[in-house]
Amino acid sequence: MEKTLEISNLEVSARDGKKSFAILRGINLCAEPNQAVALVGESGSGKTMTAMSVMRLLPRNLAVDRGRILLRGEDILAMSESQMRHIRGKVASMIFQEPSSYLNPLFTVGSQVMEAVKNGEERFEKTMKMFEDVELERNVYFQYPHQLSGGMQQRVMIAMAMINNPALLIADEPTTALDVTTANGIVLLLRKMMDKYGLSVLFITHDMSLAASFAEKIGVMYAGRLVEFSDAAGIFKSPLHPYTEKLIDCLPERYAPGSRIRTVEGSVPDFRQLPGGCPFHLRCPYKITLCTQRKPGPTLIGTTTVRCFKYGDDGQDS
Amino acid sequence: MKKYILKRLLQFIPLLLGMTFISFMIIQMAPGDYFTQLSMNPEISPLTIESMRRDFGLDKPAVIQYLYWLKNLARLNLGQSFSYHVPVSFLIGQKLRNTLSLSIFSIFLTWAAAIPLGIFSAVKDGRWQDRTLSLLAYIGISIPSFLTAMLLVFFAARTGAFPVGGTISVFNISATGWEKFADYMKHLLLPGLALALSGIGSLFRLMKNNFLEALGSPYITTARAKGLGEARIYFRHALRNAVNPMITIFGYTLSSVLSGAALVEIVTNWPGMGRLILDAVLSQDLYLVMASLLIGGALLILGNLAADIMIAAADPRVRLR
Repeated sequence: MEKTLEISNLEVSARDGKKSFAILRGINLCAEPNQAVALVGESGSGKTMTAMSVMRLLPRNLAVDRGRILLRGEDILAMSESQMRHIRGKVASMIFQEPSSYLNPLFTVGSQVMEAVKNGEERFEKTMKMFEDVELERNVYFQYPHQLSGGMQQRVMIAMAMINNPALLIADEPTTALDVTTANGIVLLLRKMMDKYGLSVLFITHDMSLAASFAEKIGVMYAGRLVEFSDAAGIFKSPLHPYTEKLIDCLPERYAPGSRIRTVEGSVPDFRQLPGGCPFHLRCPYKITLCTQRKPGPTLIGTTTVRCFKYGDDGQDS
Repeated sequence: MKKYILKRLLQFIPLLLGMTFISFMIIQMAPGDYFTQLSMNPEISPLTIESMRRDFGLDKPAVIQYLYWLKNLARLNLGQSFSYHVPVSFLIGQKLRNTLSLSIFSIFLTWAAAIPLGIFSAVKDGRWQDRTLSLLAYIGISIPSFLTAMLLVFFAARTGAFPVGGTISVFNISATGWEKFADYMKHLLLPGLALALSGIGSLFRLMKNNFLEALGSPYITTARAKGLGEARIYFRHALRNAVNPMITIFGYTLSSVLSGAALVEIVTNWPGMGRLILDAVLSQDLYLVMASLLIGGALLILGNLAADIMIAAADPRVRLR
């Protein structure tokens, strides 16, 4: 079956005057129809920029250098801006971290959902039906964003994203700004949408356990690289990349109450001055000389792709 | 909403009272009065001057004078001008109309030019169109309006394309209504342009910045992510958000209608209130000054009220109480 999303060898760079910096390098991931794929990683690891590349909404100073992004088999990087407009909202749509600032404060939420409807007929009826789907009352249509709670605002965003029945929904930390119970409601709603509409979800989060419980596949990102792409079921039992291992080691639920939680020492390097070799070698306990000299290429182990010299060197530098 | 407007209109009265009282006292603090100059004239006896002072009530304490002025104001009598010996309302009547038409015309020109240019410049941010417009705006801001007015008058005098000074042409007595209006507008064009040219620059920059800020907002990303066209993103989502801060500025603009035009009026010989008020202040023509301050204050308060109501209508987050 045709994959909903397929990203291969994506490279994105930022231009700052005449200088150019690598933002994303060698991103390879895919999502099958009706599958949820999670992207995890620290802030600044490139999760959102990967998502923005799929929507072709990268900030002005960022550009895709190389690679392919296929949405339902169509190469979106080759599309014109006006073709892309028909993809956005219809084939792929997106929801964001802080729904309050991502809704226009001056218009009723209903009108903002309704204007996303692509086909001219029965726009209002469609909107009303979608409000039911996301479990909002009909009269919310006439309310303004500031009159709604964070959870309701996110539901409006989901209604807006789902109104044209897209194949892919990108959810960029949709629950980070919400309290735990509300967040849980949003995650359940996304699941319900997947079951009802056969939707694929690219779920961006920095919560490892949320990612594992929601998604079938997990991609771990570090400094603009996808260091591990693996089945969600297996990743806790046998994490391959040292970074993934460390991340799992940090999960609070693995510790007894009152005991000290371990962290990954150090911080993500600035993308303007990435170290040579593997970007993780500064924080890696398994570092060998090779790590400081070359970047590890992808190695396939079972169903997991990992970029680390621990699992051999295929000679590829990327 | 109705209740709010009524409340604000009631607040209007004490505000205006306070404002006029303070300005009345400040004018009286200046040494001497209108008749001090007359006493320099050896042909007028001190006795005559004393009796004139008494006639106008200037021999009484300032507070009592103010109360008299208020009492007359309640009967819509703005008092008598010392220097022209006619009622102030008669003096102001015609000139107020000219000043208002000049100001409103130039405000209209300013906004009609600055808003679209600001949007255009924001959309073309950083490109040559934007840089050209920004440079022109700097030049416009740097040149004072009276200089622009002088240059325009010079241009009009050299080419004869436009009348220099006044509001009507001499041959115009038998003209029909429409012809009269066209003639008036022709006279209005130069001073109006002079006044507008200096205002466009700063308003343009404000509008450009507001629009850029709106374009950088997260809700614009949402609008793009749902596949809306550029026109809808610009003119529905960005424009409405960019225009809201301008409404407050519009309220203040109304208040500067009287004072802002004075210099240009004098340079282009437009028979407005500018020269009248300036002369009145210099010669301490008390009631004439008070009348102009009263009109200015009323415009300021009404302008702000209008801006508040417009903002409440435009922004659902603003609730009037």
